[in-house]
Amino acid sequence: MTRRDTLSLLLGAILGIAAGVTYSWVINPLSFNETTPASLRTVYREEYVLLTALSFAKTGNLEQAQGRLAVFTDINAASELSRLAQLSLSEERPVDEARALAQLAAALSNPATPSPTAVTATPTPTGTPPSSPTPTLQPAATRVPTATPGAPFALVSSEPICDPRVSQPLLMVYVQDADGNPLPGIAVLIRWDEGQDQFFTGLKPEIGLGYGDVDITPGVVYQLELVDGQVPITGLESSPCTNELGQTYPGSIELIFQQPSP
Amino acid sequence: MSTSRLLIGILLGIAIGLVYGWGLHPVELVDTTPDTLQETYRIDYVIMVADAYSLDQDLQQALIRLAALGPQAPDEMVIAAINDGIEREIPREDLESLNELAVQLRSLPSSPGVQAP
Repeated sequence: MTRRDTLSLLLGAILGIAAGVTYSWVINPLSFNETTPASLRTVYREEYVLLTALSFAKTGNLEQAQGRLAVFTDINAASELSRLAQLSLSEERPVDEARALAQLAAALSNPATPSPTAVTATPTPTGTPPSSPTPTLQPAATRVPTATPGAPFALVSSEPICDPRVSQPLLMVYVQDADGNPLPGIAVLIRWDEGQDQFFTGLKPEIGLGYGDVDITPGVVYQLELVDGQVPITGLESSPCTNELGQTYPGSIELIFQQPSP
Repeated sequence: MSTSRLLIGILLGIAIGLVYGWGLHPVELVDTTPDTLQETYRIDYVIMVADAYSLDQDLQQALIRLAALGPQAPDEMVIAAINDGIEREIPREDLESLNELAVQLRSLPSSPGVQAP
């Protein structure tokens, strides 16, 4: 091969590579219809995560939910779920969404967490879609025990908490089932003279799966109610505490609810 | 300059370029929409929409979510997911949710023309 042949071959290869890369990256890239959820726009990513949580609330299949969230390698799934639950509450979206997000966040943080309460069986549809063959069904995922549906929660403890490390006084709520296991995804409603707020247990799994809290203002009297509770707890107010230096600071309140034995 | 060598070089280069651009280092898209998802993820998306519908019974919300997957008729998407689900032997509860949603979609009088969010 002469020097001229070699140069021709090299020049052709350079032109060809440029053409090939241009075609495969710009003109006809493979991934236009082959993307994964990880590449979704933020609003769709959040919708995908929400759907994962709602599906988990329906099926209780944690392994399936983990698989769906595993594509998002750049986020901490439990943290993202907690963030979305708070966002859902602040945007006053349906309560079931925040509950589902909180339950999945708690389940991911501790796989031994009780699964969502079994959804009431839906009526058998009157007809199946014409083109679908009869499904070959396999057994549903096994559920671990959960709170007894319908049984109210009772207040078992209410104490003022003085902790100088806590700069902002809190209304801290722990919710347990009849066996003392923490229960995530329980809606808690608080009211005061000028407004109301809602939060869920399980959004701070690092503290406790059945734990939830909300900031309170000294001098304001609150009323707290679990959605599945018996009666509202009234007269909740931050009490003054004194530290080692004799300085006063606003204290927090700790409430423990438990579901009575069936 | 040898024309034949140039042509051979171009063909070789194109082959190398395609292997690199499609196989070794394909384009990674960002900020995509659900209608570009791989078929597996599209099916899974439909299953999740059906599960969500089974919980909230909000058919309008289900239609909005399915519309994000593209212009295909919503009931056809769900039927495709049922058929795929049967083949892959997905959990019974998912199939029940899909079936319930398909029945409701088939009962709609006409396409409501829902837009994706």
